[in-house]
Amino acid sequence: MTKKSEQEKGGISRRAFIGSSAAAGAATILPKGPAAAAQAAPSGGTPVSLPPTPQQMAREVGDARPPTTFRAAQRPGSDLIVQVLRDLEIEFVASNPGSSFEGLQESIINYGEIPNVMPEFISALHEESAVDMAHGYAKSEGKPICALIQGTIGLQHASMAIYQAYHGLAPMVILVGRDDKHFLQAHTADDVAGVVRSFTKWDAHPQTLEEALVAIQEAYRQAITPPCAPTVVILDTEVQKEEAGDLEIPPYRPPVIPTITAAQADEIASGLLAAKNPHIAVGRMRTPAGPKKAVELAELTGASVTTSATRMPMSFPQTHPLTGKGADSAHDYVLGLETSGAQASLNGPHLRTLDGRDLTGINFGGIRPPVRPSQNVPGENDLVADAEASLPLLVDAVKRRMNESKRETVSQRTVQHGKANRDARVVALRKALEKKREGWDASPISLARIYAELAPMIKDLDWCLPSPTIFSGRHHEELWDHDKPYSHFGGHPAAALGFGIGASTGAALAARDRNRIVINIQTDGDLNYTPGSLWTAAHHKLPMLTVMHNNRAWHMELMYVQYMTGVRGRGHDRAHIGTTLRDPFIDYAKMAEGYGMKSEGPIKDPNKLAAALARGIESVKNGEPYLIDVITQPR
Amino acid sequence: MTIMTKFFNRITMLVAGSVFIMGTVGAQVAFGPVTGDAKKGMQLYYDYGCYGCHGYNGIGRQNLANDVSGIMFNETVFLTYLRAREDQNPLFPTQSMPNYAAASLSDNDAKNIYAYIRTFRDEPPEVEDIPALKAILDAAENN
Ligand code: HEC
Ligand SMILES: Cc1ncc(C[n+]2csc(CCOP(=O)(O)OP(=O)(O)O)c2C)c(N)n1
Ligand SMILES: [Mg+2]
Repeated sequence: MTKKSEQEKGGISRRAFIGSSAAAGAATILPKGPAAAAQAAPSGGTPVSLPPTPQQMAREVGDARPPTTFRAAQRPGSDLIVQVLRDLEIEFVASNPGSSFEGLQESIINYGEIPNVMPEFISALHEESAVDMAHGYAKSEGKPICALIQGTIGLQHASMAIYQAYHGLAPMVILVGRDDKHFLQAHTADDVAGVVRSFTKWDAHPQTLEEALVAIQEAYRQAITPPCAPTVVILDTEVQKEEAGDLEIPPYRPPVIPTITAAQADEIASGLLAAKNPHIAVGRMRTPAGPKKAVELAELTGASVTTSATRMPMSFPQTHPLTGKGADSAHDYVLGLETSGAQASLNGPHLRTLDGRDLTGINFGGIRPPVRPSQNVPGENDLVADAEASLPLLVDAVKRRMNESKRETVSQRTVQHGKANRDARVVALRKALEKKREGWDASPISLARIYAELAPMIKDLDWCLPSPTIFSGRHHEELWDHDKPYSHFGGHPAAALGFGIGASTGAALAARDRNRIVINIQTDGDLNYTPGSLWTAAHHKLPMLTVMHNNRAWHMELMYVQYMTGVRGRGHDRAHIGTTLRDPFIDYAKMAEGYGMKSEGPIKDPNKLAAALARGIESVKNGEPYLIDVITQPR
Repeated sequence: MTIMTKFFNRITMLVAGSVFIMGTVGAQVAFGPVTGDAKKGMQLYYDYGCYGCHGYNGIGRQNLANDVSGIMFNETVFLTYLRAREDQNPLFPTQSMPNYAAASLSDNDAKNIYAYIRTFRDEPPEVEDIPALKAILDAAENN
């Protein structure tokens, strides 16, 4: 829409307002509503004097009391939006500012008794970072925060991260500002959410404030209902700025998540209790409540447990005495919780494709593809029910069937399993350590050494490792104890790079007020997509230790190109072109310093590593993020 | 790795012949003489990307240090091995051992690389003598 047609319609453009208010001084009030519009300059741009306000009128007739403090907006719609977020206990809104949501932004930072808390406005330097932060937070806490995104262009920046979150089953509510009246047409689309619709679960474009409040609640509900995923609400700037009057916030109804039936719970409970050697396989549940209940079930039944805690969040504690094959690995009843099991397994609902559709196809547009295309296709004995929501039923069913003799059996089995699992763990660890010591004194530094040196330092701390570790050897799997729902997040869900730093920053947001620290083992290629999160961590004082896995390359691609030169029989010494980060090398300690983060390095001497890591941990414990550049072996 | 490349790698092993068997005895066999220049080999090992999968010091995805590889038995076997994969044409990217054609890596340069690899020694301290590893083990044992 051009400036001219705005004026023809009687609107006041943003720029005209800024200009006229500068001319008229601070007292100028933006006229509102049809009456005010009728007063606006018809075409020539000459300001027309405004009618007296009620206050001025009162003074005119002799009421000389000083005017009450005047607020143009009495109860802005965006205050109610913030109240909805607060009621939903959304801790953070990660955002890069945009002029389609200054109304909402102003409410976040100013509304309420304690403004800018629940939610707190978190400054992201890139929309992709904002969404990665929401992803990292969701993986550690199992619940959403918001990303607040500038319409159209910001959403395009955000889109790859949203795609990754969709694959990662990460619940988040993405609020997108939209302004089609007073702003650039290029930032506005009729269907703003269209650009991400193929990889979001639900979206809405409410037309009124009341609809907007309901839409945000629904977006939240949809995001946390399995399969969890990102949802989108488009918020028109008018809706944010509208006077709310006496509009009340509609009540929020939590989702009803499908569980097994009481009869099924009874059947599984009797299976577990009748078995001589029951076993439970645990995958990824939704929230920290899932693993907690799984521990209760395992302890009640004395079942040995397989965990996925080294590969994904929200699984069973890795060093729980029941974790492992147990005293006897011939299990006669196996229960799967979000994983396939032999006798029964509870796998939450999944978005499905239409029949006959190619599961490997991406097919953007039209129908949303499944959240996880090729995994967790229910098997014969699978109950399509959410394991976490079903666990309380199962625990109760087991408790009801418990008697003295069963309790005795369980307690004996628990002791036997505990001893066997502990012994097996030590044997496996001894074997692993023999491998880890290889190249111990090498320079550049071995990746195993980074994880090994860190292990005793974080042993008694509450830590979270959000970064994908597939490129750095996954040495934490054997060396660190993954006992928390948020210990490790697994890989990049869509194998999309630029994820580690943002996800770690989001996890560090969750960690900040929970006395937890985040360890980010950061590959160099990955950092360079969105390094701005370093500033976010410094600015918000996030407890994040970043240890560079600096192999000065997109090393995976180097290996592929090297192989290809072999296939083609030429230029074997040229594979570094376009695959390495040399000439010049990037100085990550300086990069961090530039963003205001404490740092050191590059470290090449393996004997200097431990002291640097210790300094880093100390700093992070004091709420100061820290980066250590380590020149490493490639893999 | 695809099934196809696995299959081809097996063929490569057969081309390398008796070496396959020697690989299993490794260090006990007397290795052949070194004729190349290890110093030159050091740069070539880097330029030709060997470090990418075998580590800068022969410890990596596939270890070469400490004479653990039967392929390193002598220069001839080593050269045969480097050239033995030319007919592999995978459809998918792979991180397996690439073919190194003579047209792009000469016999001489390959022998220099051979000489350099033969110098690789990795003698890390025992687990018990590495404080971090010992601490990890102690913690698990006292659990
Ligand atoms: C893209 C990764 C890659 C690169 C680059 C590479 N290799 Fe390899 N190499 C491998 C793998 C993987 C193996 C194990 C055998 C296999 O998979 O074919 C191997 C095996 C070997 C072996 C036999 C080891 C054994 O187990 O007996 C030798 C010797 C060797 N490579 C030397 C070299 C040299 C010399 C170079 C550089 C000129 C080089 N490699 C470059 C991946 C690589
Ligand atoms: C967004 C995105 N762009 C490109 C790729 C292709 N890619 C896969 S691995 C890789 C290199 C990664 O480099 P780095 O993070 O330093 O890890 P390294 O391989 O060096 O261990 C690239 C570019 C990708 N997966 N995602
Ligand atoms: Mg790299």
